[in-house]
Amino acid sequence: MKILSDIAALLTGMWITWKHIFRRPVTIQYPEEKRTPYPRYRARIVLTRDPDGGERCVACQLCSASCPVDCITMQSAEGPDGRRYAEWFRINFARCIFCGLCAEACPTLAIQMTPDFEICTRDIMDLVYEKEDLLIDGCGKSPDYNFYRHAGIGVTQPRGSGAEEKPPVDVRGLLP
Amino acid sequence: MPKLIIDNIAVEVADGVTVLEAAQSVDIPIPHFCWHPALGKAGACRVCAVRMMEGPVKGIQMSCMLPAQDGMVVSTTDPEAVTMRRNVIEWLMINHPHDCPVCDEGGECQLQDYTIAGGHGIRRYDGKKRTHINQDLGPYIQHEMNRCIQCYRCVRFYQEYAGGTDFGVMGSAGRVYFGRFREGQLESPFSGNLVDICPTGVFTDKTARFRARYWDYDMAPSVCPGCSLGCNTTPVARYRELLKSIARRNEAVNSWFICDRGRFANGEVNDPQRPRTPLIDGVESSRNEALKALLFRIAQTEERYGTGSIAIVGSSRLSLEAALLLPTLAELTSSGALCYFASEEESGRTLPLFQLLTAGRSASQRDVRESDCIVVYGCDPLQDAPMLALAIRQAWRNGATVYTVGDGISLPCDVTTVDRLDAVPLSDAKNPVLIRSAADIPDQLATTLHQHDHLKLAVLFPAANSYGASKLALKHLGVSFEQAISSGDIKGVISVEADIPQKLLEGIPFVAALDWRMTETVQAAQIFFPTTAWVEMKGTFINHEGRVQRFNKVMNPGVPIRGLDPAVHPPHIHRTAPPGGEPQPAWQILAAVIEGLGGELITEPFTGEWERLRGLDAECEGVIINDI
Repeated sequence: MKILSDIAALLTGMWITWKHIFRRPVTIQYPEEKRTPYPRYRARIVLTRDPDGGERCVACQLCSASCPVDCITMQSAEGPDGRRYAEWFRINFARCIFCGLCAEACPTLAIQMTPDFEICTRDIMDLVYEKEDLLIDGCGKSPDYNFYRHAGIGVTQPRGSGAEEKPPVDVRGLLP
Repeated sequence: MPKLIIDNIAVEVADGVTVLEAAQSVDIPIPHFCWHPALGKAGACRVCAVRMMEGPVKGIQMSCMLPAQDGMVVSTTDPEAVTMRRNVIEWLMINHPHDCPVCDEGGECQLQDYTIAGGHGIRRYDGKKRTHINQDLGPYIQHEMNRCIQCYRCVRFYQEYAGGTDFGVMGSAGRVYFGRFREGQLESPFSGNLVDICPTGVFTDKTARFRARYWDYDMAPSVCPGCSLGCNTTPVARYRELLKSIARRNEAVNSWFICDRGRFANGEVNDPQRPRTPLIDGVESSRNEALKALLFRIAQTEERYGTGSIAIVGSSRLSLEAALLLPTLAELTSSGALCYFASEEESGRTLPLFQLLTAGRSASQRDVRESDCIVVYGCDPLQDAPMLALAIRQAWRNGATVYTVGDGISLPCDVTTVDRLDAVPLSDAKNPVLIRSAADIPDQLATTLHQHDHLKLAVLFPAANSYGASKLALKHLGVSFEQAISSGDIKGVISVEADIPQKLLEGIPFVAALDWRMTETVQAAQIFFPTTAWVEMKGTFINHEGRVQRFNKVMNPGVPIRGLDPAVHPPHIHRTAPPGGEPQPAWQILAAVIEGLGGELITEPFTGEWERLRGLDAECEGVIINDI
């Protein structure tokens, strides 16, 4: 009987609907309720500091080179102690696609992705973040790493006293 | 002519050519650090290893040290050779610091490229790295000895090629150090080439320190405007700022190198005082208003003082395109004088010598390098055109005799001083070259040239396009501006990139100037148009020997982002043209003036006999013209 199977199909559908009405919902009432993303979630980009408090970013331009949408621009400069740093650093979040390639390219672990995904504004120009908007006071992930301790160019410590360095050579020495 | 087989490709090369060059001749790349085409071999880096399968020598050999011989069968891809090269790179990286992100060479580093190409990505050796203390080598060169891989290129260039004595190699074994005995500025006028020649970041350009990366550079083939030699360069710009210049190879001209004077001369282009907006009586205005005012004042001057009261003044630093339009402009303004030289002195220094440069007579830098007898007569190449002194040194290294007529000329080689030009045994030489800058006794020079048909002449002119200016001055019967105003009829001047001293402009009521530099003429002008510098336009210069060379546009004109206020934050403003982007190439402004005066619209300055220069490629060796 075709009519009986049709009724059965209707009731099965209704049963599934009613079953889900009394279940706990998978959606949440955003923005009243908020979900905590996982730590490796890729959202707003920050510039971190090294454990000694210095800026990690050396403005090497690798993030801007790897950025597929060209949303990062910067200018490097030299500090009085020889430290290379970003004179200005700008990320246009209106253009950013949060792919994470910049964080992957960063050799000093300065640029990192955070789980903060709420960066909507009414004015699109507010999405252009300058260095002071990006720079945070902590180390973020990898809290122990300080690039200049390993770089061998004598910024945070005298030349030849870094982590993997011998003392400077005496070129006028006669010993073999 | 040995015949050999490299990677299954049969190659025939000249005697004495190394296996490395033989492989390069058939586009087989072999990595190398110490070998350089201009410096030859040293056998220091061991990275050009290849495997000799058959022939007089067998096994792993250094291809840069081995002259090609008959019957050699070479493999560059043999696993043994590949492993050797990879291991060598790994050895070189043992002491190399972990500082690529803060190194200016990063991105244009030969060591970086070969390390990646060789497949060495993970450091296996966990011992400590040797370190060095750097030296302050003056305002142009930054020293970072930790990065050194001991290829000896710097010291071979500095001492052997350029004849410098204040830089060398010290220490032994693993402590080899390249530097000066004491800190201080490098004395050689060619020291900037250390930056180009170092395969890694030991020597970097201090003037462009931490400014940009290779992949962000605005670059184009260009020509140095510093002197009349026309050495080939690649200027580098970023954010509308000219950062540095790199030497560009042209075997006929400068070979691989350029002098420091040309290399470190970026200041004028980036100068914050550079005039960048059109001015009418000192008031900033638009290009169109200035053009209208110029046309009005030309008419006014003609009305008030009669025809022939306006002088059109070009210069020897003006590009050929604009220089070619000056006769048309002179005709339309019915001007009294068409000048290509401001002073009588410059005209006198240039024209008599130009007339001696008949077909086949002019010597290029290559001719100087290949000469066997060089006479430096009444000029100082190290002052007037340093690269010619370097070319003289190469000739001397190859066995040429260098004569100087008169005392007081220093050259980076041994010289024989003679009293008179007659005392030089020119008849015995095969390819003699005479170098001259000013013709105070041109008669004697003409006689000498007449007596020796094979004698070539290298003339050091005052500026980059002196040859072009002389050619046009002779053709259009131009006079020097100094001579033109002596009659007192000139009441108006249109100066196109000319350096007219203030005293020559006294008593001239109307002065219009086109320039990209803040000169005395610009300050005296009532109407001013900003023009583009050579790096901001496509243009043409004719060098001292009559070689036409094209230079391409490197960057857009405009105030560098670095010079904007506030300096550390480029403004958040959308605009279609950059601030200070008004400058136009001089010939385009001239074309607009010509159109405004009722002439034809000119879209292509090369017409008539110059037409063949239209498609000239900036990357070719240039075209010699002495028949136009």
